[in-house]
Amino acid sequence: MQEELMDILCCPVDKHELELEVDDREDDEILTGRLVCTECGEAYPIEDGIPNLLPPDMRDEAPA
Amino acid sequence: MGVLENKARARTFYKYLSKVYDRINPFIWDEEMRDEAIEMLDIQPSDHVLDVGCGTGFATEALLTKTDNVYGLDQSAHQLEKAYAKFGKRGPVRFHRGDAERLPFADDSFDVVWSSGSIEYWPNPVDALEELRRITKPGGQVLVVGPDYPNNTVFQKMADAIMLFYDEEEADRMFTQAGYQNFEHHIQQSRPGSPRAITTVAQVPE
Repeated sequence: MQEELMDILCCPVDKHELELEVDDREDDEILTGRLVCTECGEAYPIEDGIPNLLPPDMRDEAPA
Repeated sequence: MGVLENKARARTFYKYLSKVYDRINPFIWDEEMRDEAIEMLDIQPSDHVLDVGCGTGFATEALLTKTDNVYGLDQSAHQLEKAYAKFGKRGPVRFHRGDAERLPFADDSFDVVWSSGSIEYWPNPVDALEELRRITKPGGQVLVVGPDYPNNTVFQKMADAIMLFYDEEEADRMFTQAGYQNFEHHIQQSRPGSPRAITTVAQVPE
């Protein structure tokens, strides 16, 4: 995902801002990392450049 | 109440449906109907457009002809795999996994929000319609395509068993309840006798 997406992304549950934690990046593209809610602390994984923003109760598949 | 009003079941259903999706999809929703629906919208080249429930990317592809700023969201990894195959994961479309009823976008993020062939799987369509309104800028447009309640008895039985179909009256109720004031419905049909799609274009209140 592009870092500029941070302008519009929010926590799907409480709509608060997210904080980006990067494990692996390629220029502006975040390949692996997490989006952590600044309010509830829920962490949403970024897997192969795709942010998985499914609420925790729907995140059934193991991160790959 | 359809069985697909259970989200876990909807995901399992999609997993298998995705294998044949683009093949069976044109039965009620073909390229002509899709392009006709896109022309109901006023999309400027600078607009940011989100496709909610983008699935395999059938509508996403057409939205890209109007603007370069296209975003896709779907709950199903299996459906998205097909979309990645078409556009790449880091191509022109910014893909996300997410739930239509709990969207991961801030208020007023998009100029246009599109959703086709997804509403019939939403357990609480009014909640999702409210979310679409919330993330769309005031004065922006929301377009939702769902299958109309069929006249044919066999289709009705199938509809009642697995999907939530709705007619114009039901669409009025849902959009009003979700806080929209200005909207119109268009009935679209591939050919006489085939199931119809109900396409609603709503303007987000200022």
